[in-house]
Amino acid sequence: MNSFWTVVSFTVRNKVRGKAFIISTLVLALLLSIAINIPYFATQFSGGGDKTTSIGYIQAGEDDAGTVTGNGLKAYFEAQSDSGVKLVSYADQEDAAANEKLLKQAIKDETISGYLTFGDMTASGFPVVTYNSEKLMDYKIPSMLQNALQIIRQTAVLQDAGLTSEQMAVLNAPIEISAHQISTAEGGEGKSEEEQGVNMGLVYFIIIFLFMAVMISGQMIASEITAEKSSRVMEILITSVAPLKSMFGKIFGMFVIVMLQIAVYVAVIVLNVSLPHNRETLTDLNINLSTVDPMLLIYSLIFFLTGFFLFATLYAAVGSIVSRTEDLGQAVMPMTIISLAGFYIAIFSISTPDSILVKATSFIPLFSPFVMVLRLGLTDPATWEVLVSIGLLLVAIYISVYVSAKIYRTGVLMYGKRPSWKEIRKAMKAYKI
Amino acid sequence: MKSLEVENLVKQYGDKTAVNGISFEVDKGEIYGLLGANGAGKTTTMRMVLGLIYPDGGTIRYHGKGYSNEQMSMMGYLPEERGLYPKVRVSEQLIYLAQLRGMSRKDADSSLKQWLERFEVPENYNKRVEELSKGNQQKIQFIAAILHRPSIVILDEAFSGLDPVNVELLKATVKELRDAGTSFLFSTHRMEHVEELCRNITILHRSNAVLQGNLKEIKSRFPKERVLLGTESEVRGLEGISGVTGVIRHENVYEIGIRNEAAGSEILRFAMEQSAITRFEIKEPTLNEIFIKTVGERHE
Repeated sequence: MNSFWTVVSFTVRNKVRGKAFIISTLVLALLLSIAINIPYFATQFSGGGDKTTSIGYIQAGEDDAGTVTGNGLKAYFEAQSDSGVKLVSYADQEDAAANEKLLKQAIKDETISGYLTFGDMTASGFPVVTYNSEKLMDYKIPSMLQNALQIIRQTAVLQDAGLTSEQMAVLNAPIEISAHQISTAEGGEGKSEEEQGVNMGLVYFIIIFLFMAVMISGQMIASEITAEKSSRVMEILITSVAPLKSMFGKIFGMFVIVMLQIAVYVAVIVLNVSLPHNRETLTDLNINLSTVDPMLLIYSLIFFLTGFFLFATLYAAVGSIVSRTEDLGQAVMPMTIISLAGFYIAIFSISTPDSILVKATSFIPLFSPFVMVLRLGLTDPATWEVLVSIGLLLVAIYISVYVSAKIYRTGVLMYGKRPSWKEIRKAMKAYKI
Repeated sequence: MKSLEVENLVKQYGDKTAVNGISFEVDKGEIYGLLGANGAGKTTTMRMVLGLIYPDGGTIRYHGKGYSNEQMSMMGYLPEERGLYPKVRVSEQLIYLAQLRGMSRKDADSSLKQWLERFEVPENYNKRVEELSKGNQQKIQFIAAILHRPSIVILDEAFSGLDPVNVELLKATVKELRDAGTSFLFSTHRMEHVEELCRNITILHRSNAVLQGNLKEIKSRFPKERVLLGTESEVRGLEGISGVTGVIRHENVYEIGIRNEAAGSEILRFAMEQSAITRFEIKEPTLNEIFIKTVGERHE
């Protein structure tokens, strides 16, 4: 046991002191900080989100359809307190070209950001309205204008129909709908919308967390072992410490490092989010961690740990088959694809957590750490399903540890070309772990 | 009790037999030489002794006991190829390796400092292995093999890459450890090192032990076939003496090949008649000659 901790501390100390580790952690922490603060900076640069957009239009005669529409819109937006849109009227220059020139000049002077032109009268009761602006794909303003016109028309029509203002208020009141997830299982509690939101966040977090941990540490474990092998330190290691201990010491050391690294990132995120200018965003998200089911946390932890160690042992096996660092990328590929597949199945099924694909893959080790967490968070799988999934994972870990340790012990002495499966199998029979 | 007993060791790789029934014993405080041409099976034998690979047949006993994880910490190993972390500081990795073999951190650290001092490279303590010269790396590798005070040390080409001064330094250390009771299994291509250090040897050739035993006895088994003769003035007619196979004239000495030892005295008598003698020696065969003779003969 003693030498196990020796391996762990050596692994951790060497990695943490390495320049590459420190630099990559710092760079990612910096990027995270920037990413979190981008929304704030964006609002700072655009001069705040509450700036009103001014839209120009030409005021022609009293009975001009365009002018009537323009005036209606102007009155509507003035009546709204925080619509963010204001209409500005300009006197008619008696000439279409001169009008256009005037309005364009206004855009150039930044007194307005766009202007309206009116075409032929349509059956809707309004002429065709065109919003002209320098921006491409500006959908926000036209849709606001459309909404405004609809309400103007509706109001006009309803007033004519002789409705009272109370009746009008009822018609305009928004309708509230909420979704509640229930459980058909005996004793299942179901999840409220708020719980679902928090759970979804948690599920995202855990899945991404596991994926990151597997990708970062898997690569590191494999390349460390390959490096030890190619520098032949392995020959000395194998003769000083039992292979199982040295393999697990390394895996556990990497686990500590990844946890450390992720803890740094989480700390950076929390620190940034709790900065005064970001606090509003946090309260907007309405995260209430007390709504999280403690069982979900416990299961998530179990799946995280089992998933991590399953992948880690397999990466260790891959690392010990390869003898040169150059060949490692290719050898690690299948593992990367498997972890990517599990990750994507979980992430893309977040809106359909009850599909057959999700149900099936939640029992397959290597996928289940990702997918079962999704099911646990967003649906209510039966307890036996969860336990079977965990059981299968444990069996898979047992087999993978056994096989990986054999490969680790055997692969160490295989140099030169990548050994064939037959060679590995044959050699594996010869070694005790 | 012997420190190391190897009995009838066999290792096969596929159809090829890498080691074919080798047996030898190493006493406490003995340096045992394992000689052989490239690919003769030296490294395979050593790896089996280390427990790195398992023999297909035969037994190995360490202080009378079979292989177990506890035995590992008594072994020291210097691999032929470099076996250190290139990017890790010398102190870090040597203390780590010693710790893995059951030494305490503090103990390993002070012991390492002593060894570095002894090898006149104390400045390497905080350097990375990749920064060191080949010779210095070899010194570090040597310290790694003996730092944890093993009772059996396996040295595979221990002196390669070292200059003569450092070879002497390491040889002196090996002898010192030997006198303190450490057993060594030693392989090299340099016969003069073997002659200086080893009591018993095995010469391997194509997986077989072709010559084995006490070095002195082996030498006495080979006939003395060479006479060195130094004279004041020139001696003529040496070729004519019966039993002489050939004469090579060096700058101030004659090297005379003889068929048997009796021809030696004949040469001496003959030479004395012509000149004063400054040197006369019936040479023992060198290990180099024995090696070439044993291994070379079997090449046909």
